[in-house]
Amino acid sequence: MNHSLPIDADPAQPGVTAAPGRRPDSPQFTADPMVDRLYGVTLALVAELAVTRTRLDTLERVLAGRGVVGEADIDQYRADELAQEQRSQLQAEYLARVLRALD
Amino acid sequence: MRYPAPWQTIGRHALLPEAGHDDIARLDIVAQLNAHVAQRLGPAVREAWERRGRNLWRMRHGREPIDRREVAVAMEAEPAWQTYSLVRRNTMEIRQQAGRDLVGRQASALRERARELNAGARTLRLDPDFRPPRYVSAVDQHLMRGGYTREQLEEDVSNPANYDAGLYATIGGSGGPWSNAAGRALVAWLQREQPNFLPRRILDLGCGIGHNTLPLRAAFPQAEIVAIDVAAPMLRYGHARARSLGITDIEFVQADAADTRLASNSFDLVFTTMVLHETSHQALPKIFAETHRLLRSGGLTLHLEQPTYRGLEPFEQFMRDWDGRFNNEPFWGALHESNLPAMLERAGFDKTRVFESRCVAPAWQWADQQEDFGRAPAWYAVGAWQAANGLAALR
Repeated sequence: MNHSLPIDADPAQPGVTAAPGRRPDSPQFTADPMVDRLYGVTLALVAELAVTRTRLDTLERVLAGRGVVGEADIDQYRADELAQEQRSQLQAEYLARVLRALD
Repeated sequence: MRYPAPWQTIGRHALLPEAGHDDIARLDIVAQLNAHVAQRLGPAVREAWERRGRNLWRMRHGREPIDRREVAVAMEAEPAWQTYSLVRRNTMEIRQQAGRDLVGRQASALRERARELNAGARTLRLDPDFRPPRYVSAVDQHLMRGGYTREQLEEDVSNPANYDAGLYATIGGSGGPWSNAAGRALVAWLQREQPNFLPRRILDLGCGIGHNTLPLRAAFPQAEIVAIDVAAPMLRYGHARARSLGITDIEFVQADAADTRLASNSFDLVFTTMVLHETSHQALPKIFAETHRLLRSGGLTLHLEQPTYRGLEPFEQFMRDWDGRFNNEPFWGALHESNLPAMLERAGFDKTRVFESRCVAPAWQWADQQEDFGRAPAWYAVGAWQAANGLAALR
């Protein structure tokens, strides 16, 4: 990605971002504004995850196209014992972070 | 069920913002989210209405709901409706942020490209003293910050560029590569209903970026075409876009459809596509009166819009009202409740020459033909023929 301006920047004032917070005309659809906000964050994440997965798909295709990584290499990859151990630790740390609020 | 068109299939012209890998991926997921809303979440609302909402209303009030407002009350706390609305609204907000980000970082480059294409052209007529009516300038249409009229730099075209790029994702390519299905639907209607009608001068009121104007040039190569709008950025962009597509003889003029300052009896066809809902209670009668003034004998005025609420069941009115309530379209509901044929009569057209019809665009290969409360390529049309000296118009 090649960003020269931060997101939501005003091109007439580079470096100045739009005012934070919900815009005054944002509707509320559920009885609890926090639920609406949660939908907002969740859907943005849905979109960003999709973008990330697409980028990953691009990476695999480009690598496959250049013969660096075969198409089946990723699907058939199986972690060796060391990688499994390292991944278990990474997954546990990941869950600890994302599920922190449920503790 | 078809997929929405990938953003990479958009029709290319010189003013289209340059989209990077992730911009494209983001616009694609926006298109997919919108398709999901229309195809899966929308029908779930109908089901919730039929199974629960409607019965609860009947139990409480002893009768059916009479209009969209009562359905709205009945459905307010219904999870399927809340879900539908939250996903639809957030998808539009995501789309707008993605569009801002896309054009914001290339606003200067887009401006330069427009300047190059527009340089020396006498077919772009902007008025530096023109003030767009408040009903346009005060609204962030479709949640786009600044709406159609905002200029963040001199001769800014970034909002129209955002509009152009994002529209394709919002409608999933169902308007075709050039998002011009409304213009093509109008042309198809004329060719089917009035094959002998050959307008020599055509006026597009509220042309925006001109995407629905260009099909008229293709259909009537000999006609003079004038396209007006109140928003200078849209006209700059639309004019440059047309030129980059090889169309250099459409006049793009900054003017108010309610008071065009164009000569009386000077056009054979005066039309709008998805514009009436963007006007106002005060402006619309004036716009219709203006079309009557502008039309020559035997001429036609035709206005494509989303369907009138008159005659629709309350639930369908309620679903079609979503844009009016949650997509910054303040005149939407009132427009669709209006009796437009009666308004055309009051504007001076003979009652027997006022009509309602339906315009359908020839299907593009990936268009989803399923009715989805407003995004399929079919429009309600209301129009009137200008009488020829009080006698029956030649058809």
